[in-house]
Amino acid sequence: MTTDTETTSGAARRESGGAVRRYLAALRTPRGAIGAGLLGLLVLLAVLAPVLFPGGYDDQGDNALAGASGAHWMGTDELGRDIVARTIFGLRTDLTLLLTAVPASAVIGTLMGLAGVISRWLGAGMQRLLDVILGFPGIVLGMSVVLVLGTGWSALFVSILVIGLPLFGRQARAGLQVEQEREYVLAARVLGVRRRTVLTRHVLPNIVDPIVVNAAVYMVVAVFIEAGLSIVGLGIQPPIPSLGAMLNTGARYLEVHPAYVMGPGLVLLLLTLAFTLLSNALNKAVLRR
Amino acid sequence: MNAVPQTIVPETRHDEENALLEVRGLRTEFRAAGGTVCAVNDVSLAVRRGKVLGVVGESGSGKSVTARSILRMVPEPGRVVGGEVLFEGRDLLGLSEPNMRALRGSEIAMVFQDPQSALNPVLTVGYQVAEALIVHGVDRRTARRRALELLQQVGIPDAERRIDDYPYQFSGGMRQRVVIAIALAGSPSLLIADEPTTALDVTIQAQILRLLGRLRDELDIAVLMITHDMGVVAETCDDVVVMYGGRVVEQGPAEMIFSRQEHPYTADLLKAMPRMDEDGMRRLPAIPGAPPDPAALPSGCAFHPRCRLAEDECRTTVPELAPRGGTGQAAACWVTGRGAAIPPLDRAPADGGDRPGPGGTSLLSVENVRVNVASERRSLFGRPDPVYAVDGVSLSVAGGETVGLVGESGCGKSTLARTIVGINRPAEGTVRVGPDGVDAFTGAGTRPLRSTVQYVFQDPYASLNPRRTVRQSLGEALEMRGVPRGARAAEASELMRRVGLNEGYLDRYPHAFSGGQRQRIGIARALAVQPKVLICDEPVSALDVSIQAQIINLLESLRDDLGLGYLFIAHDLSVVRHLSDRVAVMYLGKIVETGPVDAVYSSPQHPYTVALMSSSPAPDTTARDRERIVLTGDLPSPKNPPSGCRFRTRCPIGPLTHPERRICAEEEPPLAETPHGQLAACHFASEMAVLS
Amino acid sequence: MIRFLLRRLPSVVFVLLTTTVIAFLLPRLAPGDPAAVAAGPEATQQQIAAIRAEMGLNRPLVEQYFDWLGGLLTGNLGESYQFHRPVSELIGARLGSTVELTVAATLIMIVAGVGVGVFGGSARSRLSRFTADATSTGMLAMPPFLAGLLLVILLGVTFRVLPISGEVAVLDDPVIGLQYLVLPAVALAVPMSGGIAMLVQSSMDNAWRQDYVDLAVAKGVGRRRITARHVVRNSLGPAVVAIGIRFGEMLAGAVVIEMIFARNGLGQLAVSSVQSADYNVVQVIIVGAVVIAVVVQLLTEIAMATLDPRVRLGV
Repeated sequence: MTTDTETTSGAARRESGGAVRRYLAALRTPRGAIGAGLLGLLVLLAVLAPVLFPGGYDDQGDNALAGASGAHWMGTDELGRDIVARTIFGLRTDLTLLLTAVPASAVIGTLMGLAGVISRWLGAGMQRLLDVILGFPGIVLGMSVVLVLGTGWSALFVSILVIGLPLFGRQARAGLQVEQEREYVLAARVLGVRRRTVLTRHVLPNIVDPIVVNAAVYMVVAVFIEAGLSIVGLGIQPPIPSLGAMLNTGARYLEVHPAYVMGPGLVLLLLTLAFTLLSNALNKAVLRR
Repeated sequence: MNAVPQTIVPETRHDEENALLEVRGLRTEFRAAGGTVCAVNDVSLAVRRGKVLGVVGESGSGKSVTARSILRMVPEPGRVVGGEVLFEGRDLLGLSEPNMRALRGSEIAMVFQDPQSALNPVLTVGYQVAEALIVHGVDRRTARRRALELLQQVGIPDAERRIDDYPYQFSGGMRQRVVIAIALAGSPSLLIADEPTTALDVTIQAQILRLLGRLRDELDIAVLMITHDMGVVAETCDDVVVMYGGRVVEQGPAEMIFSRQEHPYTADLLKAMPRMDEDGMRRLPAIPGAPPDPAALPSGCAFHPRCRLAEDECRTTVPELAPRGGTGQAAACWVTGRGAAIPPLDRAPADGGDRPGPGGTSLLSVENVRVNVASERRSLFGRPDPVYAVDGVSLSVAGGETVGLVGESGCGKSTLARTIVGINRPAEGTVRVGPDGVDAFTGAGTRPLRSTVQYVFQDPYASLNPRRTVRQSLGEALEMRGVPRGARAAEASELMRRVGLNEGYLDRYPHAFSGGQRQRIGIARALAVQPKVLICDEPVSALDVSIQAQIINLLESLRDDLGLGYLFIAHDLSVVRHLSDRVAVMYLGKIVETGPVDAVYSSPQHPYTVALMSSSPAPDTTARDRERIVLTGDLPSPKNPPSGCRFRTRCPIGPLTHPERRICAEEEPPLAETPHGQLAACHFASEMAVLS
Repeated sequence: MIRFLLRRLPSVVFVLLTTTVIAFLLPRLAPGDPAAVAAGPEATQQQIAAIRAEMGLNRPLVEQYFDWLGGLLTGNLGESYQFHRPVSELIGARLGSTVELTVAATLIMIVAGVGVGVFGGSARSRLSRFTADATSTGMLAMPPFLAGLLLVILLGVTFRVLPISGEVAVLDDPVIGLQYLVLPAVALAVPMSGGIAMLVQSSMDNAWRQDYVDLAVAKGVGRRRITARHVVRNSLGPAVVAIGIRFGEMLAGAVVIEMIFARNGLGQLAVSSVQSADYNVVQVIIVGAVVIAVVVQLLTEIAMATLDPRVRLGV
């Protein structure tokens, strides 16, 4: 039976409607707005990096490890390169990595999670495979990848991709199991709608939302992976800047030049904060019914 | 909305000195971003000492919020903004929170609707009962001893052993008994019961109602019973308050209300209910429209858009609750207030008088179907033992005929329905469809199955994809029938007209519709493939009473116009009686009785059928004192069905009362013909005819 | 309980076995010849061939795998090319340091995470809810290494109240050892506590909406007792599971933290071994990390089962 208050709440009204509208609703909450604004700013900075710093990230000056000045707001590094410029270019490296590897992981992971619709054995096999990946602590898996591929961009890309697979795969499989039992899915089956059509028309659209939210959550983890591997020297190699790699070298000069780690550290923090806020807002607006 | 809350003292208190609880001019609002919703508006009522007051209404009527307002437990963002709640002379709304807390559970207790969720899953039932005492200052040891007594008192068998069990180890009915034990712990003088039996099966409902009645007699507890079920009210209540749109529209002693209604809503609601003692030759007089959304109440009398007596005054001014006839009855209606009587409804006969009736050849026949619902996953211990939710069932449906399938939850009726349409696979048996009797589960049978048999789901909120418009949902079904794209728009409009919806709604999403409208859409979708047989799986049980009648009427006229056959599944015996030509009663995976509806209802032969009928509450206070057969115990698990007759563990004439009847445990009774023309599976079939 | 363990056993064994296969295959997947890598850049062809024979690389792969697995099970872990010492000795020397760090960090994570979560989940005023939200969001967004670096700058460089580099075993000298342990453990625990706090808070928010809370209110139970007996009790399950899942991440985080605080633990050994392609060491560390992560996860599932009777009895 329905309760008295049911019709008073707008919950029923919120549950459906256009997908775009629900995502926009997430951005209108305080968390969503701050997160999106912050992320927008960081992306803009990264895109404009070559315009803002025409000298690039490798422009070496005479003054190594100089303090803050008008020319170098946060000083220079051990080779006399501007820390602000390197930080922004590092951000560019990080964002490129995140915005390619995380979606790739989401897509492949989701497909692995849905493999059960092709055959039960394939589905079960994929789940076992995801279990194994899940058994590996993130950085340990990253180290294994580095062993095979050597350090660099591709090892980070593969690490972020692989570590995320269980997250998306399990989510997709759980979603599939719930959605397949929905009455409107059964109704379509009773009508005789073909399996594939039922899947694409009724099941998949309802699985996408949690995957998107998870992707936002995983962005934060991916930042940790990049920075973690780079900071121990297994990530992006010099002279290319990345936030983690800068922290790695900067940590050596902590006592003489604290601003060296402050710059990339702050940007990194803003990046994770933006994704954390965004994923929180999405979670509340898109998934809660 | 912005009327100043009036505190009219109801002049209807015929036992003023006896009033234990008196609510005057109660007003409760929910404040949200979209504006203020007044869920309870100027409600006054009184509960007499040791008596049962029923507060009855449909969804959105404000009955639950009223109950919660009394205990000051309105959920956020709701708050009580006006009125008085006088309990033994004290105004509860003015009490401090610590005083209020001391009063909750000790002087006023509450029983909730859903026993599945009302108990904390990680605490033992004994602890949860004892806690109600501990917080009111009883020491642990005494509290535990008293908890055991309480559990025994509410009829938990083997309570000493079960006191340390967890809630999930109890059935729904037993959990509700635990909730009642918790409520009784502080020896309260008032019990507020919010739909205490709605989530339970009929035979369990009868047990709980009987328990509540016994407790009232033994402990002299007054009860405020919130319910949507007029039958429950008639069976249990001394006084009645009828709510609509957040206000009281009628109140008075139960006998008065059921014999003569002073408000058109009460009158029409009672007439719209199908009756177990009436056949279905005439349409139900349904109330048009749907109960109003509390956020958008009509002006004036909230019922006026649906009222057949409405006048101009009703549309502009809210009528006051005024006494009628000096018998303690009161109603809020302008029309009857002037002394006008409510004219009787002329019940339309089925279109054109005679319905075509069952059309001979069987279009759907189920033969000895068994369905294994055990999980198919292999574990380390090998394949699990089969669990037959449906265990050897045969039935058939002809064109224009309705076969009612009755049973309690867990009896396998929905599993059977889903198996027929191919959602579940049968382990044994066949399903034949169409005039040629094609086997539905062969490759050649799939197509005839889909085009012959369609399904109407129970929950209108779950059976439509929220992301697809009505046009898309119907279009998908039309596509399956092979209607070319260009012709679908016209067909969809025709379907909408057919089920009584405006074709202009085609491009809306399901959330824009009420439950009844959604159910109409669900029916339209099933009709889109032009099936011969509809499987209706509890299609009206999730709907408000006034909407139920509309859907039942729709189903009837569709059947008669299109010559459809229905397999109509329900737990409500009166709905089945109204619609069906033949009926089958299921218990634990088997049909125990089947035959023409008149024969089964007038002289039931199986003791389970008798018990079901006798447990179903009738909306009639004169039926209150009839002899009732209340079954003991719960439905056994299909994992481990009793040997011989499956009903013997609860049977009033079986080995429980006649230990010498060993045949019941040793031999399974076959479905055998009885003198009245139906088939019954009982070794002592004729015996019940005498009892009923 | 035994039934529960038996049900989980096949998948646990499968994960562990597959991990050993992956760890075994890693050097063979890597570009280049493991023997050449092991022999060093200046080795002659004969030396490489000798090492290849010594490593058993000439024999069939399956045979090599079972030999290696046998060694793993008997504790015969081979020798490090980098340090020319037995792997077991290298690991044994550094195990204590990493265990200290992860145990300390786990304790901090549980206390801080559950503490902030319960605070947020039982808070009623807007201000305290906002404080709890802000704290957990901030902690969650703070990567461990960044927390480490900030702590180093603040307490080690600016105020110099705690040592920032090196270590002393807690068991040898508790006072000094703990001083060395505090900063790295806090740094490691911070983001994970944020996650735990958020989880506890949201499941408490959810529990507050349950009917059994209403029933408790109707019984006359006070808010504090409802929080403690009904809400928190029902909300800790997800947190326990999360702590188990995060333990693997804790190990991973330790790798980075050990670098920053110059602690001579397994993390540092792992990194230097990866950098110098010291396969014998890396393989053992990978298998070890997975074994620990999987076993801890299993343990938390058991803890979960004792918290929730439905899990315990396999319903």
